[in-house]
Amino acid sequence: MSEEKQQVSRRQFLNYTLTGVGGFMAAGMLVPMLRMAVDPVLQESAAGDFANVSLAVEDITNEPQRVDWKIKQVDGWYESEVTKSAWVYKDDNGDIIALSPICKHLGCVVSWEGSEDYPNQFYCPCHDGRYYKSGVNVPNTPPTAALDVYEQKVENGMLYLGNAQPQGEA
Amino acid sequence: MHKGKGMKFVGDSRISAERKPNIPKDYSEYPGRTEAFWPNFLLKEWLAGSVFLVGFMCLTLAHPSPLEGMADPTNAGYIPLPDWYFLFLYELLKYDFASGPFILLGILVIPGLAFGGLLLAPFLDKGPGRRPHQRPIAVGMMLLGLASVIWLTYESASHVDWAQRAEANKPIPPSEEVEIDKQDPGYAIYESNCMTCHGGDLSGGAAAPPLIGIDRSAEEIAKIAREGIGTMPADQFTGSDEELKKLADFIVSVNEQGN
Amino acid sequence: MLQKIYDWIDDRVDISPLWRDIADHEVPEHVNPAHHFSAFVYCFGGLTFFVVVIQILSGMFLTMYYVPDIENAWKSVYYLQTEVAHGQIVRGMHHWGASVVIVMLLLHTLRVFFQGAYKKPRELNWIVGVLLFFVMLGLGFTGYLLPWDNKAYFATQVGLEIAEQVPFMGQQIKTLLAGDANIVGAQTLTRFFAIHVFFLPAALFGLMAAHFILIRRQGISGPL
Repeated sequence: MSEEKQQVSRRQFLNYTLTGVGGFMAAGMLVPMLRMAVDPVLQESAAGDFANVSLAVEDITNEPQRVDWKIKQVDGWYESEVTKSAWVYKDDNGDIIALSPICKHLGCVVSWEGSEDYPNQFYCPCHDGRYYKSGVNVPNTPPTAALDVYEQKVENGMLYLGNAQPQGEA
Repeated sequence: MHKGKGMKFVGDSRISAERKPNIPKDYSEYPGRTEAFWPNFLLKEWLAGSVFLVGFMCLTLAHPSPLEGMADPTNAGYIPLPDWYFLFLYELLKYDFASGPFILLGILVIPGLAFGGLLLAPFLDKGPGRRPHQRPIAVGMMLLGLASVIWLTYESASHVDWAQRAEANKPIPPSEEVEIDKQDPGYAIYESNCMTCHGGDLSGGAAAPPLIGIDRSAEEIAKIAREGIGTMPADQFTGSDEELKKLADFIVSVNEQGN
Repeated sequence: MLQKIYDWIDDRVDISPLWRDIADHEVPEHVNPAHHFSAFVYCFGGLTFFVVVIQILSGMFLTMYYVPDIENAWKSVYYLQTEVAHGQIVRGMHHWGASVVIVMLLLHTLRVFFQGAYKKPRELNWIVGVLLFFVMLGLGFTGYLLPWDNKAYFATQVGLEIAEQVPFMGQQIKTLLAGDANIVGAQTLTRFFAIHVFFLPAALFGLMAAHFILIRRQGISGPL
């Protein structure tokens, strides 16, 4: 037996083995539990189901109008109907734009021309946040990003909206 | 060790500033070979623990934890049964000397004496001898108590058809839950002919399986109602052929709704 | 680095004696299965503790999904058992652990009893141990109501009716446990949940601490 450095004493060897066995026991117990705990993170987010918002395409004007619709929401074991809303209008090219009313600052609800001082803008009453008609935030107001845009499609002349997606940096 | 004046502390705390060498205590009073708890003995304990854990996880994986249908207070056919470690108390209350006028004997006196005796064992068995044959009364009482608990548990469990119980109480997934139209003319016929066994919401009972989630045609159902199947005796249904058809259609309609 | 942090703390709080007492004590030969195989009977106490640890951990994780509400309790258990990855296993560990802990506790009790290890000076530790047994049975009784399935509901009703038979104060005991004089329902479930998750575990921790401190104080009983 070589009497060199790096020799592992019996006590050290036992300590390493003990750590290994302890690690095995801890892992055996905790792996299923941790997998269960992180399950919501690993669940694929439900693909955007499009819902009919009861608005005919021909009724959409250049002026943003608020639409409310209900979707069936499954939250684990709890199923409920929740109301969603959007501001919908046609832009200058005739494309339909559906903006989420949730302010990107702190999540209040914005409304079109919500303040008389700021015509032609979305206005958030909580902290005077403002957005242009395109949803882009007005510089030097609290919001730091543009309003989210709903995924949309048109079927049989009716508007269908899906999930709200962040707009790219405008 | 210093006392009083001359003791030095860390700052103004009560922690001694003098480091004492950590000398293990003297265990020479024990005969034979002793060994340090850490790491020598703990390693052996944890190895045993690992083997135990593997066995435990195999049990868990092989037998998923049971879950019966959602609690239904109106389910008159359900025979309650506690977990196995309470079965002996449950069985005890079935005996004549522990029920009816003697119920106090069953719920207080007998368990009280048994568990009280267990709690106070060191004061009831005060002799110096530790070996079992040196204290025959204590050991005898314990063996008697143990034997009766095992006997009562066995008696209680042996009368239960566990597989049939599990089958009859299978949970209905929420997605397959069905609305039962109690205004349907078929339901009135169901009520008077089948409900006592199959339950008010067709979910089955102690003696009969659920009628939800079955894959049978109306003709087959009508035939079973007349002639019976398995443990179900014949002639359970006593109405006219027209009523029988309504009944079968009703049961089929409930099942179709689930899909 | 770690050594420096340890020294810094030890300098101020003097923690070495705490763990050295546990780590360095000598284990006598007669409890060491390496020397006498029959000494495996001394494992039952440790295994009981191990299952208790499993119960505590799996219980903590189960409450991430469970709600103590009669409308949703069963649905949440069904959900965690069928939809959540490994939920089946974690609930299984808690379910089977409840049975295994009773078995281990029983074996441990029998070992101590037949060796007469509860005799002077260890009377107090025996009493603490029997109280632990009662707490464990209480945890079992309150635990199986929680999934709110048929077995839970009807078995609890029987249990409460037994409590009602107690002379003079039976009705009060039943109401105290069930939250209502006649109904086994919403209030019963929340009460049993609170008892199962907070009150009895608190008692369990206190008693276990006493149990272990007494063992360290008195040492394990000598060979027969």
